[in-house]
Amino acid sequence: MPQAASTTAVPQAPAPAGAAAYATGLSKIYGAGETRVVALDSVSVEFGRGRFTAIMGPSGSGKSTLMHCMAGLDTISAGSARIGDTELSRLGDRQLTRLRRDKIGFIFQAFNLLPTLNAIENITLPMDIAGRTPDQDWLDLVVGTVGLAERLRHRPSQLSGGQQQRVAVARALASRPEIIFADEPTGNLDSRSGAEVLGFLRDSVRELGQTIVMVTHDPVAAAYADRVVFLADGRLIDELPAPTAEDVLDRMRRFETTGRTC
Amino acid sequence: MLRTALRNVLAHKARLVMTVLAVCLGVAFVCGTLVFADSSAAAYRAAASKNFADIAVSVTAKEPPPGAAPTQRTSVLDDALARKLADVPGVAAVRPSADGSAVLNAADGTPLRAGKAWANLAAAYVPGKDGNDSRYPLVEGRAPKSADELAVDSGAATAGRFGIGDTVTLATDGPVMTKRLVGIVTTTETRVTTGGTLALFDKATAQKLFASPGHYTGIDLSAAPGTAPSELSRRVTDVLPADRAEATTGTAQADQQALLVDTLTRGYAKMPMVFAGVSLFIGSFLIINTFTMLVTRRTREIALLRAIGASRRQVVRSVLAEAFLVGLAASAAGFLLGLGIASVLPDVLSTGGNTLPRGPLVVGPRPVMAALGVGVGITVLAAWLPSRKAARIAPIEALRTAQQPPTSRSRIRALVGLALLVLSTGLLISLTGAKDASEENLRSAMLGCGALVVALIVLAPLLAVPVIRLIGRLTGRFGITGRLAQRNALRDPRRTAATAATLLISTALVTGLAVIGNSTGRALDRQAAAGLGADYVISTRTPTTGIDPAAVQRVAGTSGVRTATAVTDSTLFTGGGVRQISGIDPRTVNDVMKLDFVSGSLADLRPGRIAVSSTLAREHGLRAGDRLNAGLGRSQGFKQYTVVGVYKDNPVAHDALGARAEVQRNTFKPGSVQRILVRADSGALSKTTEGRLRTAVGNNPLLKVQDREELVREAAGTVGDLLTLTYGLLAIGVVIAALGIVNTLAMSVTERTREIGALRALGMDRAGVRRMIRLEAVTVAAFGTLLGLTAGLLGAWAVGSLANGAVEQYSLALPWGTLLLVCLASLAIGATAAAVPARRAAALSPLEAVAEA
Repeated sequence: MPQAASTTAVPQAPAPAGAAAYATGLSKIYGAGETRVVALDSVSVEFGRGRFTAIMGPSGSGKSTLMHCMAGLDTISAGSARIGDTELSRLGDRQLTRLRRDKIGFIFQAFNLLPTLNAIENITLPMDIAGRTPDQDWLDLVVGTVGLAERLRHRPSQLSGGQQQRVAVARALASRPEIIFADEPTGNLDSRSGAEVLGFLRDSVRELGQTIVMVTHDPVAAAYADRVVFLADGRLIDELPAPTAEDVLDRMRRFETTGRTC
Repeated sequence: MLRTALRNVLAHKARLVMTVLAVCLGVAFVCGTLVFADSSAAAYRAAASKNFADIAVSVTAKEPPPGAAPTQRTSVLDDALARKLADVPGVAAVRPSADGSAVLNAADGTPLRAGKAWANLAAAYVPGKDGNDSRYPLVEGRAPKSADELAVDSGAATAGRFGIGDTVTLATDGPVMTKRLVGIVTTTETRVTTGGTLALFDKATAQKLFASPGHYTGIDLSAAPGTAPSELSRRVTDVLPADRAEATTGTAQADQQALLVDTLTRGYAKMPMVFAGVSLFIGSFLIINTFTMLVTRRTREIALLRAIGASRRQVVRSVLAEAFLVGLAASAAGFLLGLGIASVLPDVLSTGGNTLPRGPLVVGPRPVMAALGVGVGITVLAAWLPSRKAARIAPIEALRTAQQPPTSRSRIRALVGLALLVLSTGLLISLTGAKDASEENLRSAMLGCGALVVALIVLAPLLAVPVIRLIGRLTGRFGITGRLAQRNALRDPRRTAATAATLLISTALVTGLAVIGNSTGRALDRQAAAGLGADYVISTRTPTTGIDPAAVQRVAGTSGVRTATAVTDSTLFTGGGVRQISGIDPRTVNDVMKLDFVSGSLADLRPGRIAVSSTLAREHGLRAGDRLNAGLGRSQGFKQYTVVGVYKDNPVAHDALGARAEVQRNTFKPGSVQRILVRADSGALSKTTEGRLRTAVGNNPLLKVQDREELVREAAGTVGDLLTLTYGLLAIGVVIAALGIVNTLAMSVTERTREIGALRALGMDRAGVRRMIRLEAVTVAAFGTLLGLTAGLLGAWAVGSLANGAVEQYSLALPWGTLLLVCLASLAIGATAAAVPARRAAALSPLEAVAEA
């Protein structure tokens, strides 16, 4: 695997040194009055550049909401969220769309490939939308990395789940975004395919210098990350550097018991 | 299961609204056109019918025997007879009348509502005992009392912008008159209220104009209670001089009139029926398409029902019950909407001078049956087929697949479609060899065109792939949105094809009709130009009026006129129908008509002999020397005529030529002349000459003075109806097609929520999403239009080659303007129809991509 980390952009003025994205006092509130739900309660967190961060927490902990707010998919009720130097809370729909297009990559649980486009068309879709010509060398590298060279002309319906998610990974990597958000990327995969995809994600961080934030509830998946942050009831409660699956599982169990007692 | 069905109906409101809208509009169009058809037929009938409701018995003069002195005519119908009739036991009231027709000039000098023989009534104002004529209640002014006074009906007064005291120019027959308007009346006479005019004169003037001084044209009697009209008729007959007058019961007259009116109005009913047929066809498509999509979308729900133990039959029955409920409710709404459509259609279809008669809406059993049949029947049928398919799928399989499996391309479809295509094109091509437009050939042409359209509809899902790829070359210019639009249109070719089918049908019809109409029009132009030797034609608007003999003399004496030949027009009844015959003088006819004889000549034309057009000859298998059994004008009974010649169809000569003397004897106004064909001195062709001719005929509202160009234009006007029909069909097709596109797109936006969410997440902006949906709609519309254009042109070409045999100088002439309009209209429809779904799609949040299914 060639060393490609040197080609990624070097941050010019990182606010907190080494952060690709960070949130300060980020809150997200749904509804009002009796139906008011606080999904995120003043969360402050940073995601290091060139690092692979996992967000963990039980269902309803707000981990997905945190990702949606950070990725410009959802609006912010209070506080601040930044991608690089861009403050998301001040952007309108058009600017958010442009931000997603130019700076963010996505990997979804349900793959979300366009069924009418074949693998390579799906991979270059974000660049097609932006009207940019893909960098062919980089594209070849990405496609080679995820091992799809043979299947580029296949439609999603002709690919297995694991292959589809590899296409999605390649799509996220191809436009060299500042940050990739992955939402339960292994949720719909069997364990072998899941391990493959997670391996690609880790490799892209280590070898290509990509920044990745992944939401998961699977301790095994979280173990691929460089760092795990834990969320419960909309609050950031803990974090774990260089995690192993056992550590993560252990931590999760502890939260659950404390959660039950209080 | 009925409860499940009811719950289902109410559970998905948006879905419900969409379906109800589809069914409702489908039904509305069908009912609207049917009610319109019935109403306009009734209005036409009313416009041509005299009201006999109050008349028990009418007394009219008997036809004088041929050769009788003109003074004998109507001479027994006088006041003495009226008084005598009043004494007949059982007679309640006697109403003598002196009726005829009169055309008025509107205040601006143009003829007012002229053109139909029966629409411009004139009558005597005959005051009763109270000094008023009960038939014509005055609303303004007073009754006409002297020869220079006139009253008109309120409709005519409004349309003609007359006020009391104005001087009105009018003509009954013969020379022009001017009279002072003294009264405005109302009338219940349907011939007037549906768009005609009524002119009332004082009794003496009307008698002079329409009968002879002191005499009437008829005496109407009403019966005293308890006296049967037939009994009264017998008693009245006893009092009448047997050889001079006769009595007819009102019912007998009404029956006779109904027969006549039937033949007169049969043609008018056809056009709305064509509309109804077309909207039925494409309305059904809309409903089937929508319901098929709905049930397909419910496959998972049906599978769930099956999984928890519902039997196949229960599932199907539940879907059918739902369809029935929706169909019934929507049909009711659609029926009401249809009544609305029917009431505005006359306005929409009245273009320029081609106004449709007005009348109340007539709601017969047919529209009600159609509403139920289309709304309920087709909806249930449309639900039945897919629900059976859905019920057959193993429950688990349906639950497992989140997305619809791609529809397989059926080989049977391809085979059936191709067979139909080969059959229809074969039939159409074989017809191009045919040299005449016999009923049989026309029927096979229609069959061929119908089969061609059906073949294209069957093949459309297969054709969608190559055709839309081709269109994709254009949409591809819009970048990724264009490419996605093309792919989306191709995603379910069957659905795309079904959506495009409505546009296919309407475009095919419109293209075909427009091409044939245009080609026929051009051919008629050429014919008219080729057949007319005269430079000017002066003609009466109706064959029942004549040109004043003095005017013929004046025209002949006008400076710049070389020859003026009088022609008498009348009707010729043959076994096949009513034809127009022109009475001419064989010695001068060649100066003014260019006749091209296929066989025989005019040399021997004299009473008892006629020449016929090639169409008439073909229909009756006639050649020069053959005999034709026909009735001429008012003559009673048929007679054998010897055919002296057959000429190529000539719009100036009409269907047959007879000796003027003979035609004049039997025309509606014996001895009259209906046309003067004028040949001008060389160099005298000018507006001045035309103006002099107008003056020579006294600016008579009854008469038209036309130069060659105007005449040719008028000949082409016969295809004006076809043009109205064409644009009407285009409008119907376009509206229904728009609904179909809206429905399909709305449905597919719902289905593709996640996908659109993903696109938004990946950075496509709202405008991009909107453009994508709009381009998809335009692609589908373009597909339908392209196929329709092909079918229409092919059909027009085949039918046109038939016409080539029937219509002289026919050649295929493409109406580029209309074709361009058709294409633009359907593309615009695509773009507009997409507006709502596109807006909905653009409003989707990128979060939809990550939402749980």
